[in-house]
Amino acid sequence: MTAPAWLEVLNETLDACRTHGRADLAERLRRRRDAPEGQIRLGVLGFPKQGKGYLLNAVLNAPVCAVGDAPTPEVPTEIGYAPEPAATLVGRSRERTPVAVERLTSELGARPAGTLSRVEVGVPRELLSAGLVLVDTPPVGDPRSPRTAAALDLLAEADAVILVSDATAPLSAAELALARHVRTWCPHVVLALTKIDASPGWRAVAERNRGMLAEAGIDAPVLPVSAVVREAAAKAGDAELNARSGFPELLTWIAEQAARPPEQSRALLAAVGVRAAAAELVESLRDRVDAAGQDAGLGQAALLQRAQRRADDLRRRNTRWQNLLSDEITDLMGDVEYDLRERTRKIVNTIDQTFDEGDPVKVWEEFAVWLDEALTEAVETNYSWLAERAQWVAQAVAACFGAQYDQALPDLPLDGSGAEDLDDVRRPKIEKFKIGHQAFTGLRGSYGGVLMFGLITSLPWLGLQLINPISLGAGAAFAVKTIRDEGGMRLQRRQAVAKQAAQRHVDDVFLRYSKEFRDAIRGVQRRLRDHFTGLAEDLADELTRERETIMAGSAERERRTGHIRKEIDRLAGLHQRAGELGTIAGRKRRELSA
Amino acid sequence: MTQDVRDLLHAAAGLYRDDPRASAVLHDCLDRLEQPLRVAFAGAPSSGKTTLAAALGEWPTRALRDLVLLDDPGPADDLPDATVRLVRHLEPDELAAAHPPGGSAFARQSAVNSVLVLARADEVGAGRIDALLTAKQLARRAWREDPLCTGFLGVIAVAGQLAYGGRSLRDDEFDLLAAFAAVPREELERHVLSVDSFTDPAFPGPIPVETRRSLVVRFGLFGVRLALTLIRTGCDDRVKLSAELVRRSGLGELRDTLAGCFVARAEALKARTAIIRLEALLAAQPRPGGDRLVSRVERFAAAAHDFRELRLIADIRGGRTALSGEPAEEAVRLLGAQGTAPADRLGLEPDADPGDIYDAGLDALRRWRHEAERPDRPHAERTAAHVVVRSAEGLLALFA
Repeated sequence: MTAPAWLEVLNETLDACRTHGRADLAERLRRRRDAPEGQIRLGVLGFPKQGKGYLLNAVLNAPVCAVGDAPTPEVPTEIGYAPEPAATLVGRSRERTPVAVERLTSELGARPAGTLSRVEVGVPRELLSAGLVLVDTPPVGDPRSPRTAAALDLLAEADAVILVSDATAPLSAAELALARHVRTWCPHVVLALTKIDASPGWRAVAERNRGMLAEAGIDAPVLPVSAVVREAAAKAGDAELNARSGFPELLTWIAEQAARPPEQSRALLAAVGVRAAAAELVESLRDRVDAAGQDAGLGQAALLQRAQRRADDLRRRNTRWQNLLSDEITDLMGDVEYDLRERTRKIVNTIDQTFDEGDPVKVWEEFAVWLDEALTEAVETNYSWLAERAQWVAQAVAACFGAQYDQALPDLPLDGSGAEDLDDVRRPKIEKFKIGHQAFTGLRGSYGGVLMFGLITSLPWLGLQLINPISLGAGAAFAVKTIRDEGGMRLQRRQAVAKQAAQRHVDDVFLRYSKEFRDAIRGVQRRLRDHFTGLAEDLADELTRERETIMAGSAERERRTGHIRKEIDRLAGLHQRAGELGTIAGRKRRELSA
Repeated sequence: MTQDVRDLLHAAAGLYRDDPRASAVLHDCLDRLEQPLRVAFAGAPSSGKTTLAAALGEWPTRALRDLVLLDDPGPADDLPDATVRLVRHLEPDELAAAHPPGGSAFARQSAVNSVLVLARADEVGAGRIDALLTAKQLARRAWREDPLCTGFLGVIAVAGQLAYGGRSLRDDEFDLLAAFAAVPREELERHVLSVDSFTDPAFPGPIPVETRRSLVVRFGLFGVRLALTLIRTGCDDRVKLSAELVRRSGLGELRDTLAGCFVARAEALKARTAIIRLEALLAAQPRPGGDRLVSRVERFAAAAHDFRELRLIADIRGGRTALSGEPAEEAVRLLGAQGTAPADRLGLEPDADPGDIYDAGLDALRRWRHEAERPDRPHAERTAAHVVVRSAEGLLALFA
């Protein structure tokens, strides 16, 4: 025997439900598939106090269900055929406890909540003898309550549903929503309008309900009934009164449900179940696609935009810091050279003055010491100023990177000036150089003070004003003896030789040292360039990675969304196939009944 | 109490002198203190608010004279002083929806201003003749057992339609009903089985269908059946029938609760409304210097004894305390459930000798002080006794 077409469609939908994390829907379809054959289950659903119990008792002509102020059970009651009245409590783990029918209500009240899964009642009624099972459910209410869930659980197995709403008021919005939900899962639904005996306006309410159901596209007849009238009719054996109770129509409807050929009925139920599950699944998948789309639409664009802004920013910063570094290094080079030249010029001036008036023979020793000290000091001062300026350049360039620069500045190659390695000034060959012959007579005052050489940088906003004191005072603190006893050519020649020797030494030092500081500055430039280029590259890499991540994320989302879309299409296909199967099943039924 | 609130409102008016809207609110609060208590009827559509308000509103008694009944509360700032909340069934969903919203700590702690009404009590139990009794039992049980009913001063089953019909019963209606009642019961039985059978053209007698229809629309099928039964069992004139219908409708119980819990506490409830509005204003528009006023409001709220009395009355009557029987009755009386005058509290005649009142008060104070200090009683019980002691002290203070 080949599997029926509906089974294939149902299984496929069931798998899809499971795949997409809707175990609840899968379970419903599974129960629909595995429903026991030879049983027609007719569920009774409704909000509290609508007269469900009265209705069922009136259908069965027996007080089976709890009515009035008796507490309604939290679990469904299944009423089937039995030759003798019987009741069984079915526990959570399927254990069965038979109880006497008349003690059922008190037994139910004595059970703690949550220990039962259902109640089974058997009654000797002709109506039920062909395998019809009436299922009384807990009242529907708060959608989150377990009671509501237990009631709606019925829809997994019900072949038909009686919705119960009383005639004191038209269907509420919640009742209409319930009707829509029930009709989606179950093809055969009737609305029993109860309590028409006590409601003067029940005809208007019935009309209003019919209109509302039609408007909502819910195909369900409305049957007004009165359990009170039915009971009175039964007591009096009054057929005419019974007809007025509205129950004959309802019973006819119930009998129709029971008489439906089982195979067609199963096919139709399976088709309806597949359609409902597919629709619900598609809805939840659509929600996911929408959510992903929103996520992508809003989040990704913003992220990309931010990354783009940061890249542009980085480009601007790159240009700025490179320009700044090269400008600053050029300036530094010039400034340092100027500073050194200025310092040496002053020394040379002192040399000139010293030997214009002094006799080298008398002053050389002392002069040589002074000259060394003066040169060392000049070089050292110049160098330390250079080091400070280089540090400042590093900071200025770092500032170009703004808040993103959170690293330590690089160590610059400026540990020492090398001034201690300068050669001592060599003593020139001076004729008749008589040491100590003449004593210092006093201090020449021209360099007795402190010479201030200030270089004010061009960047005052950094607060980095460099004032470089060049103290030549100590160096000039030797006396120039006025020459009286010796004059003429010899003295002048001695003076010229000494001047020349001293000046050449200064020139040597200047040349040597200016090479040194140029190298140092170039070293600084190279070090800073490498450091900041590396930093800029790191930042650029980071941005690239970020953009890649964003792009990859969107591609992944795109892929997932595409997958979901494909799933939606697949489910739509299943939905359609189920619809065709349902139509076939429905047509067969009509042909048979015709 | 009212004077304290007036002082607070005047102080606040000074604080918000330059704010016309706040000033208007504060002046409205002051005006309301002089006006009758405003009681709102709240509930889902078609729960019978209008019918019940009408039935109560035309009540010609002194007890409810100083009451304005608001059919369905208006906007939020038109805060009612007390609420009658109607539900159609005592079902968890409906009860949960009937719970008044929170508010400030004071508003919640003093939320002793609503009564729950199981309206349409005649529909309980498929409209059988004992529907009203069943409904009353259900209401009592819900009040005692259902945690969702804790906050209410009472849960009362009322058949609004019956009450209104009974209150406004006309002579011609009585005559009609009496004529029907004269038909032998067995013969009439099937004609009052349903609205349809009652308005059926085959109904015996010359009464036109339309007349019968208007009767059943006004009283409900249950009302008609009850009236017929009552006429047969002795309510043989309009006044008697009217009184009996109203008595059975539960309207009297509702009226007594409103009189005892609302009207007798009108000053406290109006003060409460004013304080809640003042609190809201102080919170919404804080002002420098408002802190002092806020702490004054807090002190007032903490000291307000009336709300503790009302809550304890509700707890004792709802069976939520260990008190029962004679002591419980004495406690609710001392707490002012039957009137807040000293004689009412002590269960003496209104014209009792002041000396007797004083002695009785002193006696009550001694006994309840003893109860409040018994170490063998649970804490909750002693706390309850303390509230009674405070009430007794209050009534004695009037003699100082």
